[in-house]
Amino acid sequence: MKPFLGPLEHGRIPALQQTRISAFLISAHGALTRQLGVAIPASLHHGWQVELHSQYCREMEILSLLGRATSWVPDPALGFQVWQWEMAWLPRPVAGAEDQSQGGLIDLAAFGHALHTVIRPAALLPEGFPDEDPFALAMRRIEFESGRLMQAQILFLKGPQLAHVRDVVASAVESRHSQVRELWQNLLRSMEIDTSGRHTLMPAYQARTQPAAAAATQPSVVMREP
Amino acid sequence: MPTLRSGSRQISYVLDGPARGPTFVLVNGLTQYIKIWEPFRAALADRGFRVATFDLLGQGNSDKPSLFIGQDDQVAVLRDLVNELGDQPAFVAGISFGAVIALRYAIAHSDRIAGLVPMSAFAELTPQLLMFGDALRTGLVLGGTGYLQDLLFPMNLSDDYITERLDRLEDAKRKGWLINDLYALQNLMESFLDFKPLTPQLSSISVPTMIMNGEFDFFTPRKLHESLRIHIPNSALIIIQRVYHAFTLEKPVLSADLLARFAEDVLAGRWRGDKKVWIAPEEPGGALIPFPAGYDHLRALPLQLKA
Repeated sequence: MKPFLGPLEHGRIPALQQTRISAFLISAHGALTRQLGVAIPASLHHGWQVELHSQYCREMEILSLLGRATSWVPDPALGFQVWQWEMAWLPRPVAGAEDQSQGGLIDLAAFGHALHTVIRPAALLPEGFPDEDPFALAMRRIEFESGRLMQAQILFLKGPQLAHVRDVVASAVESRHSQVRELWQNLLRSMEIDTSGRHTLMPAYQARTQPAAAAATQPSVVMREP
Repeated sequence: MPTLRSGSRQISYVLDGPARGPTFVLVNGLTQYIKIWEPFRAALADRGFRVATFDLLGQGNSDKPSLFIGQDDQVAVLRDLVNELGDQPAFVAGISFGAVIALRYAIAHSDRIAGLVPMSAFAELTPQLLMFGDALRTGLVLGGTGYLQDLLFPMNLSDDYITERLDRLEDAKRKGWLINDLYALQNLMESFLDFKPLTPQLSSISVPTMIMNGEFDFFTPRKLHESLRIHIPNSALIIIQRVYHAFTLEKPVLSADLLARFAEDVLAGRWRGDKKVWIAPEEPGGALIPFPAGYDHLRALPLQLKA
């Protein structure tokens, strides 16, 4: 297992890895886009609906970018996986909400939150990978935009309108997180990638401080009076 | 890496030093993680302490709740960790965000703490600190973790320290960016949205307390540490020379030495806080310097106190 995509082929992320990553992202972002499209009314009457519309457009941009920035190759393993992913993304209105409509919106926001938080495609790029590579740039852009896109979901899910169903919201979001995380990690494992060791990386600014760690000698801080 | 169950959550921690030694538990700042404390672990273990470092909820390799993390949850994690380590009370040191959690722990679990070290600490959100916090949160939301790091590095570290490491800053940033998840950092920051000042409860902290503040820390300035010094009965304030908010990164050996000496004094019955103000030595092992009598330690200028 390795923590990043690669090994590189002619200085690029292997096309099969690009294909699998992008297929997953297109499946997930595509499902979110379709669900947003259904949730947005033809005529906007509330501020949050404007936000939904903005999200819808940004998701379309992500889909378009992935389609064009990826070096696609045939991958027979994708057929079953895509079906599995699409089933997972189906709407699951949350039980315990005020009504079916609110339950559906909570699920939609929870799915979006999970998609934008759990998946960090740029963090898969090897250190020092060139900025001008289209696939790498797309991964960085999607992760950066995800940080902004999740704000609408956070505002909605943490907002006062859902305060009375906070446990329901928390449970729905955790559930979508688990689902997205499991599928994403399965995909990464199929490429022999494991990101769980990131926390053991040594911070660079400690490199020169460790040998001096035993320097202290005086045993007491007993203080002298002025 | 061992893990601990705290409620329904999983917490990662690391233990160093002799199993029977007095225990120090170190609590991370906002963007920190276990690895950051490595120089402290080595230095304190060499002095006979058992050292526990851990990732708070939302940090490093511990669970990262998706939406809601309360500071009470973090105190419960710290309580569970101290309990996991045995029956003896532990010394608890925390920096910045971790100092707030350490203060809360000392207030709630006074029987399970041997000594407290709040570093770059605060017990209340002054308008200035609140505005700093809001700006950092906005920076995180609009610019991502990388932009937050761009703000924190020059805010919290000295020019000398940064200059020596310019060639490694990008590497340091990348590792912090890899380990920290934006939503988890945001959740940690938003745990201050319903923050109530701890100041009225500080007088209930009866254990020996060494408050540490960087000389040039403008993020949590002297005034915020003064509030701790005035209200915590058996406390002393130590000013660390030439450093800013993140002095544990900048002066790990000196800071670890001060922690060890504080605990040794407490264990030997020598510690007398007396709400005094001291200047830390420049080098580990040096003597503490009393803040000059008649001068105002809250000022940057050497002006004598008015009678």
